[in-house]
Amino acid sequence: MLVDFELIKRAQAGDSAAFNDIVLAYRKRILGTITRLIARPEDVEDVAQEVFLRLYFSLDQLRTPEVFEPWLYRLTVNAAYDYLRKQRRRQEYRMSDLSEQQMLMADALAGGRVERDERDQKKIRESVDALLGVVSEADRILLMLKELEGLSLKELEKIYDIKENALKVRLFRARQRVLKAFGATAKGKEPARAG
Amino acid sequence: MRGDNDEQLDALFRAYREACPTPEPGANFMPQLWHKIESSQTLGFTLRRFASAFVTAAVAASLALGVYMAMPRTAVPNPSYYSSYVEALAAANTIETPDIVAPVRLDLGEN
Repeated sequence: MLVDFELIKRAQAGDSAAFNDIVLAYRKRILGTITRLIARPEDVEDVAQEVFLRLYFSLDQLRTPEVFEPWLYRLTVNAAYDYLRKQRRRQEYRMSDLSEQQMLMADALAGGRVERDERDQKKIRESVDALLGVVSEADRILLMLKELEGLSLKELEKIYDIKENALKVRLFRARQRVLKAFGATAKGKEPARAG
Repeated sequence: MRGDNDEQLDALFRAYREACPTPEPGANFMPQLWHKIESSQTLGFTLRRFASAFVTAAVAASLALGVYMAMPRTAVPNPSYYSSYVEALAAANTIETPDIVAPVRLDLGEN
């Protein structure tokens, strides 16, 4: 925990300064998580503010401060999920570019000569973004929390309030679909998008 | 069982993680957040006031309608409300009804 329980209780009681301290303590972690979940740096702050806005108006529903962190993660996941759903409606991915990008990246990774300038980073983000388009937004977030955030199944269980076995099955299926799409793009085919 | 694609996918995820460094919060992060909170509170307050006014108006209208419905009717009732033909006929033939429709009188004493 980055803050003590007393601070959370004070924020729940309506203490604005306590809430401010909570945001200051967690904002960087939340920004990092959202950056990886949505892959669009320009919108990260907006989504993070949405998370803390939801936190402010729902803090009184938190029963015990002990579950604050999973609960904050749940708010983050929900905000990212809402954002991705809106984005999917707005945006058409350039799927024809995917195989080329994927191949370039695979070559670069294999050769160990990845230059991480902004352009390459953007390409990688777009490639993974497009690759994860084969699963639903919910599965995408779940997969990313596990693979990128490194959350354990126990932690995911608390966030999603789902039994560990069900999570395992869901994660396995999502990863299999992504793997299949990855294999297909390596062979020059385009993966089918979910939804 | 993990294959080559698994390894490559893991490498891709690692590359992705490195390609998504945690950004530093902007200088306006907190002011903007508090502005959004205050705007939402204002909107919520306005909606609550509107809802409260609506409820008050609805209660007042209900009371007024209740009072109106409870008031005794003084006007002549509509004949269609009578339950039987006899009642309707009695109501139609009030005291002002002409003698022509009065019962026939038999005067037997003069004969």
